[in-house]
Amino acid sequence: MKRIRIDRLLPSQLLATCPARSATACSNRISQAVRVSKLPAPTLQRLSQTQIRCQSTEALSPDAIYEEGESSEIPLETPPDEGPDYSKMPLPSPHPDRARLSAKLSALHARLSLPSKLSVEVLARTLVDSSADAHPRFNNATLAYSGAALLQYHASEWLITRYPRLPMSILFAAMKAYAGVPALYQVAHAWGVECAAAPGEEVDPGLLQYAHDRATVSMGKWGYVRSESKELQRYKWRRGTSSRVLYDDAFGEMVPGQKKVEHDALDVSGGRNTKDLLEDDIKHTAYANFVRALIGAVWLHSGRDAAKAFVKAHILSRQLNLSSLFEFKIPTRELARLCARENFEAPVARLLSETGRLSRTPVFVVGIYSGRDKLGEGFGPSLDSARISAAINALKAWYLYSPGDVNLPSDMLSEDAAPWKPVYVDIGEVIS
Amino acid sequence: METRQLLRPLTNCCRSSSSSSGSLITSTANTTAAVMGRRHQSSTARTKKMLKIPPHPSFVNPVEGLNRVIYNPPAATPSVYHTPLKFLPSSDPRRQANLSSILRSSLQHQAENPTPTPTPTSSSSLPPTATKADEHEKQYNVSREGVEEMRALRAADPARWSVVKLAERFNCSKLFVMMCCRASREHRDQERERLEAIRARWGPVRKSAREERQKRRKMLLRSEL
Repeated sequence: MKRIRIDRLLPSQLLATCPARSATACSNRISQAVRVSKLPAPTLQRLSQTQIRCQSTEALSPDAIYEEGESSEIPLETPPDEGPDYSKMPLPSPHPDRARLSAKLSALHARLSLPSKLSVEVLARTLVDSSADAHPRFNNATLAYSGAALLQYHASEWLITRYPRLPMSILFAAMKAYAGVPALYQVAHAWGVECAAAPGEEVDPGLLQYAHDRATVSMGKWGYVRSESKELQRYKWRRGTSSRVLYDDAFGEMVPGQKKVEHDALDVSGGRNTKDLLEDDIKHTAYANFVRALIGAVWLHSGRDAAKAFVKAHILSRQLNLSSLFEFKIPTRELARLCARENFEAPVARLLSETGRLSRTPVFVVGIYSGRDKLGEGFGPSLDSARISAAINALKAWYLYSPGDVNLPSDMLSEDAAPWKPVYVDIGEVIS
Repeated sequence: METRQLLRPLTNCCRSSSSSSGSLITSTANTTAAVMGRRHQSSTARTKKMLKIPPHPSFVNPVEGLNRVIYNPPAATPSVYHTPLKFLPSSDPRRQANLSSILRSSLQHQAENPTPTPTPTSSSSLPPTATKADEHEKQYNVSREGVEEMRALRAADPARWSVVKLAERFNCSKLFVMMCCRASREHRDQERERLEAIRARWGPVRKSAREERQKRRKMLLRSEL
């Protein structure tokens, strides 16, 4: 955790307890400001020369936010030698050169056995959330965007080729269980990543930095904002699965539109783009963005295959019990429709064994047969419930068919790939 | 009490001889039981002895001089990740690999009943059907005129021609009757009111039992039971 060293703080810093930047406060104000870090001189000689960090966009100091009522216009062009406020202002995130000095970063690098091409400085950058440092060259937003695209691509192609008959809603749920925010939060936690109490210049670069009190601007959402999104949220309209595939993000969840920004209009300091979307769960999103950014960084510095191996090792190797995701409405009818669709004989429930029919706790074991082949087996305290559970098991056995390890489409990107064999993809789920 | 004390040396002698000969013990045990009257499983040692189960034969009979794999799985529900052969697509290699077993089973089937039956479900080697509804095939015995007559009857007097009565008359399932015709709104409202009056008379025990039944049904459909 971040430790605040009071003896090194200036009196002005003690007064300015408000964190240095709002989420995207700087996006409209383009000015040149040279900001000098006030860190104690590091041991390395070159650090003293590279302390000056140039930023093309300028951060609002807390004073500037408060003074905005009186002086609405901040001069667009500020000479770099002027503005003592900016030179005294602390950086919103640790200086990249301090990454070499952080034991936590090196430990994380070694623990994940990251390739040596991915330097510790890049790893430090993946740990800076956009709510901590709004500058796109110093936060992980761009890396997280590419990482999310890669992760969702690899997860979806792996799921579809491995379980080609999964219904779409189950596929969405499985995607979320592998590549969604809660799963990535767990992954980052298992990596041993800790978060800083508050972002700032003096924080150890090995800690995840995000602003706890401000919402993260959501980055890298794939999908369209529906024109009827307001009504969908207000009146809970039903969304069909086909439109989920077409419009919504990779997890079948609606891109929420501008509703949330309207609610948070109070803390928008004029600088934020009103079309930006805000995240609900700040902590989990920050952790998830770190994992995505790390995948993006591995891809950027070590290439496609390394990124794929990284995703496979850390994300797709996790265990998910897909059979627990199913919920049926009328499984017996669905199974009958399935058998009719596939030209099998109509399913018949047969009693395999039973015990205690006249007792208080009977057990019936029922198998569902199509012709002479048993499709599924289930047990229950009554004949009807045993039949239903047998039908559920038969349907799950259909939907969870897996051809085993087959070639993925992304395998063909490597140059020495074997010729492509088309994978089996089912015609779709049973509609009953 | 006194008889027991007297008989104790006798039972001890029986126990000691039990290892030597099995036939002797049965006869003596019968005589002691007759002498002592009803005796309960009151001692721990006796219960333990009864609960001793011999090991599975696969553990007992070793093949001489060979290391072997003991396949003795516990009784458990089959995994849903094990796809039945019928569900494998034609491109799947497991279909080719299991071709011999498929052929063998079909040959067996032909040997059992050499005359090909039109309905394969009527074969005798399969276990019996779970419910009577599964026994016979669907009949499709109600014609178009029958359906129209059914609708007319239901519309004329829904109280007299209830779903059950119509199903009996036309020899079809109740579901089919409900698919064919729908009573008028007044009749449906009447029925709903009648049911609600019955529900209002339920006490807390019956009400909670019904609610629990609904919950169990939902859990069953999520396979949580």
